[in-house]
Amino acid sequence: MNKHPVSLTVNGDQYDLLIEPRKTLLATLRDTIGLTGSKEGCSTGDCGACTVIIDGKAITSCLMLAVSANGKEITTIEGLSSNGHLHPLQQGFIEKGGYQCGFCTPGFIMASKAYLDEIPNPTEAELRHALGGNICRCTGYTKIIEAVMSAAEAMRNA
Amino acid sequence: MSEYSVVGKSVPRVDALDKVTGAAQYGADVHRPGMLYGKIVRSKHPHAYIRGIDTSEAEKLPGVRAIVTQADVKTGRSVFATDKVLYVGEPIAAVAATDPDIAEEAAELVKIDYEELPVVQDVLEAIKPSTPRLHNDDTKDGPARRVIKARLKKLSDDESQDHSAEIEELTAKFESLEDEVYYNISAETHTEAGDVEKGFAESDIVVEDTYVVPRVHQTYMEPHVSIAEADSSGKVTVWASTQGPFAIRSGVAGTLGIPLTQINVIPTTMGGGFGGRFGVALTHVPAVLLSQKTGRPVRVQMTREEEFVDGRPAPGCVIKLKTGATNDGRILARQALAFWDSGSVSGASIGSTIRVRGVYKIPNLKVDAYGVYTNKSGTTAYRAPGTPQVAYAGESQLDEIARKIGMDGVEFRLKNMREEGDQIPAGAKEPKVGYKETLKAVADAAGWWNREKGPNQGWGVAIGDWTNGCGPGGIYISVHEDGSVRIFHGSIDITGTDTAIAQIVAEVLTVPYEQVTITRGDTDSAPYATGSGGSVVTFTMGNTAKLAAEDTCQRILALAAERLNTSADNLELKDGKVSVLVQDPPRSISLGELAAYSLSTTGGPIVGKGSFARKPSTPALAAQIAKVEVDPETGNVRVLKMVSSQDVGFAINPMAVEGQIEGGTVQGYAWAMMEEMQYDEKGNVNPGFVDYRVPTSADLPTVQSVIVEVPAPNGPFGAKGVGEPPITPTLATMANAVVDAIGVRITELPIKPEKVIDALKQNGK
Repeated sequence: MNKHPVSLTVNGDQYDLLIEPRKTLLATLRDTIGLTGSKEGCSTGDCGACTVIIDGKAITSCLMLAVSANGKEITTIEGLSSNGHLHPLQQGFIEKGGYQCGFCTPGFIMASKAYLDEIPNPTEAELRHALGGNICRCTGYTKIIEAVMSAAEAMRNA
Repeated sequence: MSEYSVVGKSVPRVDALDKVTGAAQYGADVHRPGMLYGKIVRSKHPHAYIRGIDTSEAEKLPGVRAIVTQADVKTGRSVFATDKVLYVGEPIAAVAATDPDIAEEAAELVKIDYEELPVVQDVLEAIKPSTPRLHNDDTKDGPARRVIKARLKKLSDDESQDHSAEIEELTAKFESLEDEVYYNISAETHTEAGDVEKGFAESDIVVEDTYVVPRVHQTYMEPHVSIAEADSSGKVTVWASTQGPFAIRSGVAGTLGIPLTQINVIPTTMGGGFGGRFGVALTHVPAVLLSQKTGRPVRVQMTREEEFVDGRPAPGCVIKLKTGATNDGRILARQALAFWDSGSVSGASIGSTIRVRGVYKIPNLKVDAYGVYTNKSGTTAYRAPGTPQVAYAGESQLDEIARKIGMDGVEFRLKNMREEGDQIPAGAKEPKVGYKETLKAVADAAGWWNREKGPNQGWGVAIGDWTNGCGPGGIYISVHEDGSVRIFHGSIDITGTDTAIAQIVAEVLTVPYEQVTITRGDTDSAPYATGSGGSVVTFTMGNTAKLAAEDTCQRILALAAERLNTSADNLELKDGKVSVLVQDPPRSISLGELAAYSLSTTGGPIVGKGSFARKPSTPALAAQIAKVEVDPETGNVRVLKMVSSQDVGFAINPMAVEGQIEGGTVQGYAWAMMEEMQYDEKGNVNPGFVDYRVPTSADLPTVQSVIVEVPAPNGPFGAKGVGEPPITPTLATMANAVVDAIGVRITELPIKPEKVIDALKQNGK
């Protein structure tokens, strides 16, 4: 199959790639670039484990073709901490026990970041609604919500 | 104030950084040089003869490197279907190609010639003589025929008297019970205590109902995946995301005839299992076969859709249940007849039917259970396998009786609960348990005693019991010259068990938690560890860790005695250093100094080991109360409050324990209200998250967890296994709350809005 030139900026690094048009952004991030933090849980955009941030929006990268992401700036879970410091969301998930198996965690953290960047002070009900596109099967969500609420507070006070 | 300094504390998990930064390596994150991608060729029919398999077109596709079928399985063990398929999704062949998309394309090019057969998906249909047989024409007797058969045998064995008249009568009756000749039976179990007929006769009230529980999928977020690499010497390495690496090793060895020493299973971080991730059939064996054939590493990864059609979910169940009680609230008898939907092979959970007895003093009990073949994939364990299904039936029926005799649901349960020394129906004597404490705790926390409800609101209570498993394990500990302590073992951590192990070792060695690190080995390097299922790990590996730490402690004291020129019994290990007890001036040596010293002695480095087989476990109870509100227009049921208590023995890490309680409760909620694998004559019709809905954060409020601690005599620091119990009551908790809100009992789960609307209509609302 013919490959297309695709240029992506991922976590600040530029990648100039030749990609088959049928490859998803998720497959490209994981298999071509080697950033495996974004997870494949359903391949249909329903579970949110593959969530990355593109232009400030949370995107399920399993539903976006790599060629459609040409020229975009993408942030994945690997690009969230800076200078060795964890992002408040990462800190929140650790302190509140917001993960168990951890497979959904990168997606939850990225979806939460995109949301909190836009809505820094949500109510619990708003947050529960906003994270409705991400599935966690281990925690029952109680500690995830606690983690994100505590991170939101830390981010507001930062 | 706790007497302990590390256990009993909610310390952050040992794997915290890896999990929140994306660094943790799950199965599909493993990439090997030259790796190929495998894809399974699956049956498109639920029941059919295979008249031909043509791989020629697929082989021609550029990039395809190998196709394997049953002919490639030298042992003859069944891996792929050959002459007949029994469900949609059943593996027939597997393809390896240089790219996952090419593998998928090739799998579709494999031509299968089918001759379709009639299909049976419903257990009550499958047992009838008129239905298609999946395996053979064998039959089993139903409960009444079994009773007559036993009586007939007794009579004909008794030569002291002439029983011919009775024998003739009973034989005629036996033969007339035609609907008790069951076909397609995969397994059966039967248990009896006391005399149920007598118990029902003595009861003031007898309630009888049929409860239907759907087949549901564990829905771990990481689909099954395996990477296999067979080298030219025959050595096979398998990277496996699994609950039991040692089970994968023996499973692959047994299936493919490979010596154990020639297989190394390297466990990856695992994205959830809940009982569904022990087997080798789904990805591990096909990956090894493809790697052996190509001489290259091969990854086989299932899609979510494949998980639904060929995963091994929890069986659905039809339970006919009858319970008798007195007007003052004593349960006298219970009889259950259960049909478990095994799918195409004999499967899990039927053995749990006995748990329909609950934790009650039921003097008369009879349980007959049958596994039934249907044209679906096989089943396996799902969190407290079998218990949520039967607890739903048992606790729903108790709720009905409590309503009918006008007794409070919590009081009724407390009145019948067993205590230490009571007889367990068809079991031993009850050990020291915390049943009543746990139920009272949830009632108090939920505000049950002065509960109020508005229009369309209802309260429900239910309980469920479970006993953690136990199995062998081994752990090594070494102490390094900087004072750090390293643990080495081979058990799988899903929920924070590594953290519990590290806390236990830190506690015994009196060092800060942060000073302890933990490394997981593979099956070549680590001592055996039992699989991470059955709420087993904290109990088994916790005990093992304690033994290993105590062994390390002995070694430390012996070394210190030598170094400080005193006897070991004049020494104390405290705050990470060894001090002389009776000495003026006081002298001490830190663990680090001692570890450094050990390198220059003939004794060598400080190493301790723990090896543990098994000890009796103690039953644990989970109790829950939910308050719901039903929207009479839409039938939607909203949870206003969910409180979940559990006797955990001792919470080594309370935050992790709460996480288990919350997660299990929500899985139970989903089984009650949302989840159902649906089948028609074409197979599973909802193989994805749009049609098979699992809860999101938007579906539920905060779950309030209540930890109850009645120590287990054999648990490490009194701990019990905590993973499974919280799912056991929730199906009934929700069902009972809905009844309280709408006045009608829905006996077929899940309680979807359309069923609520139908029930409301039936109730004239």
